[in-house]
Formats: sequence, C-alpha cells, structure tokens
Amino acid sequence: MDGFDPIIGALNTSLNLRLTNQNVAAANVANADTPGYKAKKMDFELALRDALAIGDRLQVEGDAVGHIVHQPTDAVEPVIYDDPNGIESLDGNTVDRAKEMAAMAENQILYDASVEMLKKKVAMLKYAITEGGGNR
Amino acid sequence: MDFFSSMRVSASGLDAQTQRMNTISSNIANAETTRAADGSKTPYKRKDPVMAATTDRESFGEILANQMDENVQGVMVQEIAEDTRPPRMVYNPAHPDATPEGYVAMPHVNPVEEMANMISAQRSYEANVTAMGSAKQMAQKALEIGR
Repeated sequence: MDGFDPIIGALNTSLNLRLTNQNVAAANVANADTPGYKAKKMDFELALRDALAIGDRLQVEGDAVGHIVHQPTDAVEPVIYDDPNGIESLDGNTVDRAKEMAAMAENQILYDASVEMLKKKVAMLKYAITEGGGNR
Repeated sequence: MDFFSSMRVSASGLDAQTQRMNTISSNIANAETTRAADGSKTPYKRKDPVMAATTDRESFGEILANQMDENVQGVMVQEIAEDTRPPRMVYNPAHPDATPEGYVAMPHVNPVEEMANMISAQRSYEANVTAMGSAKQMAQKALEIGR
C-alpha cells in the first residue's frame, strides 16, 4: 500500500495499533475480578511514532534495482506494560473499570476516524484511476 | 492479533462472570441448607469462584501468530473455593438438625454480601458485553474501507 501514498501506510499502522489497544482494554475488563492481575497499558502515540520512524527508513538504499528495502510499518511490536499508575485493590488487582471503558470508547472513535480517512484516500485513488470518475 | 482475539477475551470474561453468578445463586438458594445431599448433617458451605488470567490460545496457528499475546489475557474460573468460616450457630431447639444444646449449624451466607457480589458480577458482565460490542463495531467499520 505504501507505494501509493505514505499516508495510507500510516493509517494502516494506526488501525493495527488501535486494534491492539482494543484487545489490551478488553483483556483488562475481562480480568477486572482476577486477584493479582495488573492492568496492561499500551502507549499508542509512542508505538505509532516508532512504526512511522521505520516507515521513514524505507528509503532507497543504493541505486541498484531492487534496493528498496521493504519493511512493513506494522513490523514494530507495540510495547505493552503493566500500568504503573494503577491503584491496587485489596486483592492486588489494578484494573479501573471506568478508565478502561473510557479508553475503549476513545479508542473506538479514533479507530472509526482512521477508517474514515482511509476511505477518503481510497475514494481519491478510485477517482484518479477512473480519470475523474466519468463514464466514457 | 485480530478482532476475534478481542472477542474471545471478552467471551471468556462473560463466561467467568456467568459462573460467578451461578455460585452466587447457589449460595442464596442454600442460605438455609443444613444438610448435604447424602443426608449428613453438614451445613452448606458458601462458594466463591477464584479467577485466573489465561493466555488466549485456541489453535496451533494462533500460537504461531500471536507471540506477543501474553499481554492479552482472557480469564477463567480456576477453582470454586469453599468459605472457610465456621457455620453460624442459631438457637432453634425445634429444628430436627439441632444439637442436644439446641443449636443448629447454619451456612455462613450473608444476603447483603451476596447481593453486593451479584451487582459486581452484573457490572462486570455488562462491561464485557460493551467491550465485545466495541470490537464488533470496529470490525464492521473496517469492512467499510474501499466500499
């Protein structure tokens, strides 16, 4: 996809990371009653920046044919860590349900926003490859 | 890492909360039970589910694909623990299971405790339903790309 437009690649990465974020939040909600479970967290902005930094390095190395090293932007594994700010309840669990639901709602809205942008990008590509969309 | 792993995690949460709900129902139903099913005079012991985080791995393919999934864990009821508190001794000489002193050993079931537990289970269940709905909506939104 990067061949068309770097933004499409970035949106693709963003969607993947948003999905990971959703999975992390779902796991936290499911384990809200598990004694000793520590709430997990993923730093979305940091992960996206790392992923896009790899995208920047996708430059032509040398001038021979086939020297474009293709490294997909989702090759970066986001760092998931135990939330250090979680408040431990009596059973050692640090999940805050309200916080998780809020994070999930935010994540979903931003996921939808990324999908909308991707749709626009694809629509523009379609427009271009049909030479303006007119029926000839 | 796909939409379905998120849904499976939420499903494991729903399952665990359902089991929790079942034990609560059992505790409430047996609040006055003074005998075991075999007729012995041992009062009912209230049950409590103990949950444990499990890594969501269904098939070999997923084990290969989801190396990073140790951070996305489902939940399971690992054991149903019995309450270790001694039975409540109630003075009721007319009861057929009363001791010669007139006391009956009743289960240590506290209705308030069970109700609070029930509300907590219900809230957790709802949170898992919302999480699953969220993943579903994201998946449906993704299908709109290129439409």
